[in-house]
Amino acid sequence: MNRTPKMLNSKVAGYSSLITFAILLIAWLAGFSSRLFAVIRFESIIHEFDPWFNYRATAYMVQNGWYNFLNWFDERAWYPLGRIVGGTVYPGLMITSGGIHWLLHVLNIPVHIRDICVFLAPIFSGLTSISTYLLTKELWSAGAGLFAASFIAIVPGYISRSVAGSYDNEGIAIFALQFTYFLWVRSVKTGSVFWSAAAALSYFYMVSAWGGYVFIINLIPLHVFVLLIMGRYSPRLLTSYSTFYILGLLFSMQIPFVGFQPIRTSEHMAALGVFVLLMAVATLRHLQSVLSRNEFRKLFIVGGLLVGVGVFVAVVVLTMLGVVAPWSGRFYSLWDTGYAKIHIPIIASVSEHQPTTWFSFFFDLHILVCAFPVGVWYCIKQINDERVFVVLYAISAVYFAGVMVRLMLTLTPVVCMLAGVAFSGLLDVFLQEDSSKRMGTAVSSATEVDEAEDSIEKKTLYDKAGKLKHRTKHDAQQDTGISSNLKSIVILAVLMLLMMFAVHCTWVTSNAYSSPSIVLAFHNSQDGSRNILDDFREAYYWLSQNTADDARVMSWWDYGYQIAGMANRTTLVDNNTWNNSHIALVGKAMSSTEEKSYEIMTSLDVDYVLVIFGGVIGYSGDDINKFLWMVRIAEGEHPKDIKESDYFTDRGEFRVDAEGAPALLNCLMYKLSYYRFGELKLDYRGPSGYDRTRNAVIGNKDFDLTYLEEAYTTEHWLVRIYRVKKPHEFNRPSLKTKERTIPPANFISRKNSKRRKGYIRNRPVVVKGKRTLK
Amino acid sequence: MMWKTLLLAVLAIGHCQAVLDTDANTLVLLDNLAIRETHSIFFKSLQDRGFKLTYKLADDSSLLLSKYGEYLYKNVIIFAPSVEEFGGDVSVERLAQFVDDGGNVLVAGSEKSGDALREFASECGFELDEENAAVIDHLHYDVSDAGEHTTILTSAKNLIQADTIVGKANRLADAAPLLYRGTGLIADKENPLVLKLLTAESTAYSYNPEASVSDYPHAVGRGTLLIAALQARNNARVVFSGSLLFFSDESFTTAVQYAQSGVFHKLAGNRDVAESISKWVFGETGRLRVASVQHHKEGELLPPDQAYTITDPVVYTIGIEELVQGEWRAFKASDIQLEFVRIDPFVRTYLKQTNSGAYQAKFKIPDVYGVYQFKVDYDRVGYTHLYSTTQVSVRPLEHTQYERFIPSAFPYYTSAFSMMIGVFVFSFVFLHFKDEPVGRAANQDKKSQ
Repeated sequence: MNRTPKMLNSKVAGYSSLITFAILLIAWLAGFSSRLFAVIRFESIIHEFDPWFNYRATAYMVQNGWYNFLNWFDERAWYPLGRIVGGTVYPGLMITSGGIHWLLHVLNIPVHIRDICVFLAPIFSGLTSISTYLLTKELWSAGAGLFAASFIAIVPGYISRSVAGSYDNEGIAIFALQFTYFLWVRSVKTGSVFWSAAAALSYFYMVSAWGGYVFIINLIPLHVFVLLIMGRYSPRLLTSYSTFYILGLLFSMQIPFVGFQPIRTSEHMAALGVFVLLMAVATLRHLQSVLSRNEFRKLFIVGGLLVGVGVFVAVVVLTMLGVVAPWSGRFYSLWDTGYAKIHIPIIASVSEHQPTTWFSFFFDLHILVCAFPVGVWYCIKQINDERVFVVLYAISAVYFAGVMVRLMLTLTPVVCMLAGVAFSGLLDVFLQEDSSKRMGTAVSSATEVDEAEDSIEKKTLYDKAGKLKHRTKHDAQQDTGISSNLKSIVILAVLMLLMMFAVHCTWVTSNAYSSPSIVLAFHNSQDGSRNILDDFREAYYWLSQNTADDARVMSWWDYGYQIAGMANRTTLVDNNTWNNSHIALVGKAMSSTEEKSYEIMTSLDVDYVLVIFGGVIGYSGDDINKFLWMVRIAEGEHPKDIKESDYFTDRGEFRVDAEGAPALLNCLMYKLSYYRFGELKLDYRGPSGYDRTRNAVIGNKDFDLTYLEEAYTTEHWLVRIYRVKKPHEFNRPSLKTKERTIPPANFISRKNSKRRKGYIRNRPVVVKGKRTLK
Repeated sequence: MMWKTLLLAVLAIGHCQAVLDTDANTLVLLDNLAIRETHSIFFKSLQDRGFKLTYKLADDSSLLLSKYGEYLYKNVIIFAPSVEEFGGDVSVERLAQFVDDGGNVLVAGSEKSGDALREFASECGFELDEENAAVIDHLHYDVSDAGEHTTILTSAKNLIQADTIVGKANRLADAAPLLYRGTGLIADKENPLVLKLLTAESTAYSYNPEASVSDYPHAVGRGTLLIAALQARNNARVVFSGSLLFFSDESFTTAVQYAQSGVFHKLAGNRDVAESISKWVFGETGRLRVASVQHHKEGELLPPDQAYTITDPVVYTIGIEELVQGEWRAFKASDIQLEFVRIDPFVRTYLKQTNSGAYQAKFKIPDVYGVYQFKVDYDRVGYTHLYSTTQVSVRPLEHTQYERFIPSAFPYYTSAFSMMIGVFVFSFVFLHFKDEPVGRAANQDKKSQ
């Protein structure tokens, strides 16, 4: 009697762990392979903009070693300011892939660093789903964890930042985020120093990987704070938070880019405040054990308030004294969506900093966004310490995702977790009876949900209250009874939804998120063939082969990293937008007339100018469409020279045709984009100089460039490179005809190809037989 | 090859060469070959200095400036005032291209200048006055004047203040006045490269002497340019004289006397000035070049591999040479400046000449990292524009270069070490302190509860 349940138990445990393992493995594989669309369709290539810098930095680190990387002063970026790369970068990404590279080479597996970089994010997506499983398991149940793990493996909101080739901080940071949260929840649950120290270590990795670590260092204190308010203080909380905070603080300050920020900037002050508060509460608790209950209550409330007010005042005073830096612009823009537009155009100019549309919530999360509130509701219904955490996580992430498209990324994991909770809860109800019967393979995932849950319930150490409730609810439901028909209908419907989710994810991934954006593909509508536009690489390769090694290329900052990464040339501004005034200078050069911008360009020693022009193929992300941002950014720094209103027509339109504003039609960017475009006829019937992107015939067709000359234009005119003439090429300022005081005679040349003799007036002619008159 | 070396040997043995061999080929374009005789002294002096003159008529249909992409001549003299159109390969555009490619041109016009010269003048940033207009000075004309007061004398102090162009001696107060007959030039005021080599007296103006003055003259007083020059940005030089007579044997040899004041000079100053100007325009004088640029950290010999570090003491040495008598010699000046530029100059200092003749500056690199340029920009009238930039990177301190122990941090060191000692002592005491039996009993009490 005694042995059989034990054996059964171990058997069940064995199955469940096998299934868990199998599902996580499948999730990993599915996540990995669905991220490979870009590699299969195009090639193993680094995507977009920022990844190019990360790749370049990683390659530098692998080549020159860690210390040289740390001290790397990049004189090719931000000319002539230069950039201390080691001190202005989150090195976690480079260290991770550099470490993998080193390990593989130690094992005599020669892999090029580029391939590691390309496949890093897909590999880490597997780790993300495992850590999501662990976190959800801590929060709810293993079944929900498996759901969450499967969701996050394929959800588009996360894939958008982690397809193969998208070698960016977010790729590994989401893993670090989830893992840190898992360790934190674990440490709050157990109150063990070990787990909270592990959380601090994981936090350290997160800090080294992504600037989004600020989210952690605000969310965890918020969790602690809310727990305190809810009266859920416990010694476990004290241990875990104080360990985590102190260790995390010290660790985070080891990253050169972060430096002293954790003790000097407002973003980090909440953590400090909560730490002080927690200490105060702990002291009061201690006093409580000494003092009588009534005395203590008063002391607690008064003391708590006093400490809170004191901390607040201290922070305010320190901020005003300048010891603590005020919130940065990016941080303000999180609270006030209009802030960036008014004050920091450079932040607003980035498309991923725009507010999220409703559409993109559904697009990125599909059914999960509907199941997610259910999960929140479940968690609130059966609240405990760690569920408070996930609720807070959900609320704050939803808010931030609403503010910025980019922060959709932080919302995605919590949505997956809570949707997992919701689906698991649903199946708990509707599969309860069938669990003993063992369903077929089709619903195996649902089955093992229950099994896993059973096993976990037995293992649960302290969290009895929640589970007990849970069980009673089940019992009640069993009592009422649900007809098996209804059950199967519901289950079929759920499975249908999940299947549609999987289809949607694959579709979105393949269509929306798998374009490398440096190689464009379009389908020919006539014969359905797929054409590849490789203009970017063509131009960058031209630069690398045909320009001097120290040539300085001016372009809008979007292309800085790509020029540095692919063409290996000096750039003036790049995607690390740390110096607004330098960018404004480039913006001013682009939006001034040729003459004025030549002054700026010579003062910056520009050799080449690169513009992106999509008018021939109808590429909408070109420089003319971005042009207003250049104007705005330039206006922010040079309000006297550049005015945004000058670039609009009287009716406030931005148009490039003949009715466009004269300032626009004569600025450098316009001229460089449309130089000799007026001569180009795209099809036989249409007019010449027809811009396909803006659907207009350009307004200024006949113009010549004085200070620049066309150096290269790619096959589809997507990238145009101009050479800036050097001052000595304007050797002698000649007098123009109309500037002369004496009007020139209209002399007509008498020379032709045969008669090469010139003409001298009053040429003395020898007349024979005459005497000169004296 | 053989004949070349032979020629070189001959030249080396021969008289002292004033002009570099590479600069010697000169094309002379003439209205008619008589000018060759009337200006023989001028041409002779050129030949004596080593120039190889090729005389051609300006409308010669076989004129050729360059062959197979290489110029046959380094210098062109155009003593053909009335040329309307050059013959052969030469045209105004070709001449302008010639200047842009570094060639030097000396042009002399007259009252009846042709279109070709006008066009070429405006290419260089100045204009010849209207046809038939001549510079008239009713107060300073020579006794030899025929009555229109167009054979004028202008005193030597109206020469430009540049010794390399017009010669030091020629500008002295007692120097002879210069004889001039021809049209006036008008300079483009916006053009910074035009040099006014010789202006007329303040009483002069430029107008058609046969017509009564109805319009305001184009050039009046000091604004009337007699000889103008252009030193292009590539250091090609163009000299434009409104008077062909200025370079003639007649003006070189004649005695001059102011008709009004009667001041007499045995010889007009034209010869010396013309010679001096020809030396300048053909690059015999006033030519500078950068011989060498070195920079390194103080106490070292070579520049750093990658970059300087901020606040490094740095030594910058530049060798500047001047062409004197056909030889490159160290240039002497006290006003050469060095700038250390990153968009704006961070350091600007005078270069001091060392014993070896090179110029040197020592300074401390500013405490700002970035990509800098050592920039020497020496632009003086009469000299070639000397411009040298050397780009260097200045990096911030490496992580090992910071000070390890700084005085202001001692409170933190103290607190850290005292904390460590405290923890050690505390744990030592905690581990080795035996509780009193009373305490143990109390513990047991708690357990039983």
